[in-house]
Amino acid sequence: MSSKGLLITTRYTVAILITLLMFFPLYWLLITSLKSPDELKAAIPTFWPERIAWENYSDAFHAAPFGRYALNTLIQTVGIVVLQLNISLLAAYAFAKGNFWGRDKWFFLVIAALIVPDQVTFVPVYVMMAKLGWLNTFLALIIPNGVSAYSIFLLRQTFKSLNNDVLEAAKVDGSNRFHIIYRILVPMAFPTVVTVIILKFIGSWNSYFWPLIMTNTNDMRVLTVGIAMLKNSVGGSEMLNWHLLMAGSVIVIAPIVILFVFAQKYIVAAMSHSTFK
Amino acid sequence: MSDQSIPRKRRLGFRTLEKWKDFSLALPALLFLAIFTYFPLVSSFYISMTNWDLIKPIKKYLGFKNYERLLGDEQFYHVLKVTFTYTILDVVLSLLIGLGLALLFNHRSRAFGVMRLLIFMPYYISMVIASMVFVWILNPEYGVLNKALHVFGIEPVYWLNDPSTALWSVVSVSVWKGVGFAMIIFIAGLRSIPTEYYEASSIDGADKWRQLLHITIPLLSPTTLFLVITSFISSMQVFQSVSVMTGGGPLGTTKVMVMWIYEMAFVQFKAGKASALVIIFFFIIIFFTFIQFSLSKRKVHYEG
Repeated sequence: MSSKGLLITTRYTVAILITLLMFFPLYWLLITSLKSPDELKAAIPTFWPERIAWENYSDAFHAAPFGRYALNTLIQTVGIVVLQLNISLLAAYAFAKGNFWGRDKWFFLVIAALIVPDQVTFVPVYVMMAKLGWLNTFLALIIPNGVSAYSIFLLRQTFKSLNNDVLEAAKVDGSNRFHIIYRILVPMAFPTVVTVIILKFIGSWNSYFWPLIMTNTNDMRVLTVGIAMLKNSVGGSEMLNWHLLMAGSVIVIAPIVILFVFAQKYIVAAMSHSTFK
Repeated sequence: MSDQSIPRKRRLGFRTLEKWKDFSLALPALLFLAIFTYFPLVSSFYISMTNWDLIKPIKKYLGFKNYERLLGDEQFYHVLKVTFTYTILDVVLSLLIGLGLALLFNHRSRAFGVMRLLIFMPYYISMVIASMVFVWILNPEYGVLNKALHVFGIEPVYWLNDPSTALWSVVSVSVWKGVGFAMIIFIAGLRSIPTEYYEASSIDGADKWRQLLHITIPLLSPTTLFLVITSFISSMQVFQSVSVMTGGGPLGTTKVMVMWIYEMAFVQFKAGKASALVIIFFFIIIFFTFIQFSLSKRKVHYEG
């Protein structure tokens, strides 16, 4: 073999080994969810279940109301995505194409909010939600997350890069601003809009800190909080309920994995452009 | 001019109305930010001056007493040290490994594209689930890691119960989840470096190692800066993995800032003291972000 061929073979081999290592935790998660409790205690771990224990999934649904958790997670996620997207589209238009007093100063206030983490605002917001009687309702899960500075920023950058001529023509035709935003700008900025939706969907689906604080009964819990509580209640390490916990975990991550596989080109493109220059 | 015929006053009125219409589109976003970000920020500061317990309507004004107590508390410095140790390990390991992966996986072929996605995917998986899988892999008795180490004659390690390994275990989840992101960003950076630089230096006889040190790494510095700042800010806020894996133990060796804030507010119901900690924490983050920005102004090579 030529030295160049050897180099390429080595590169492929190393890359494949690293990929296998990196993928191993997800593989192990899936495999554990399909093993019987006895097999988990095997002296030598098996890399493929001796018998595929599908019943782990129905048992998981008996151990905790995963159906309810999933529904709550979905309502929370869709609520946040819809609210954030609409607020962000309007604001992005105003900051990119609008003309009003101190526009860029207002925009700076939006961007500055990026540096304020949830952990800084949660006590006062918790109190606010308690006073409104919103604790343990979807309102507390959705409304405080109604705006995302990051989404506004991404959409504004895209809107700014779009040509003004079409917008001016639409204005002359008497189109109002909502028509311009939803019928002209959204189709033109479609990849960015999809990216914003996907990233927000994933972020809200995986959120933990906020729903942990804002809900306190089992029927309002989301998947992430529900499964973390199940782990603590069954004492994962001692009782060896890992087949159930891993089955529950598969339920939590399956939608995200599917979304990632189908939408990866939008995600990777967005990530690659997110660095500032 | 055609609009000369329109009376001056009406024209101004029309323009003002247009401006109001534009402003009103930004208004929902600004109101939400005012209510859920800026007001709570000010409110946190106010609560931090009281002895409020989060439940009773009464609270006593204490001035800066909560701050004095925190700064005089040994635990504060312990938590600060744990948080910084975690952050530095996480940022350095994620970036170094991420850069290595970027150099290896920056290859234009379908197979490498698929492998890149498999490595990047964990970035989007729930931290709670990632932490749980690691707890299972690290299980002292049945975990696959200790079983593998047993083959080499290594005694079972109590990863999460041993004060010397617990923090490393928590860091490992974050690194596993984060290196794919660093890799993708670094690859985007690598691909923006003009190939002429490499061609020119090859003619001058520079080997690959020299090219890496003198072309690649300096020209990647804007990318590196972006990654350092974003991962620093998110590492400082670590909570989920600690909450699932160790709960802050053993012996407080993984007690990070947000964990302590959470306990103070929602377990001990000391909202006043917790808010003081929140405000200090917030200024620490701002301070270090600012330092990184200003230090890098001199070191970062922007192209053109």
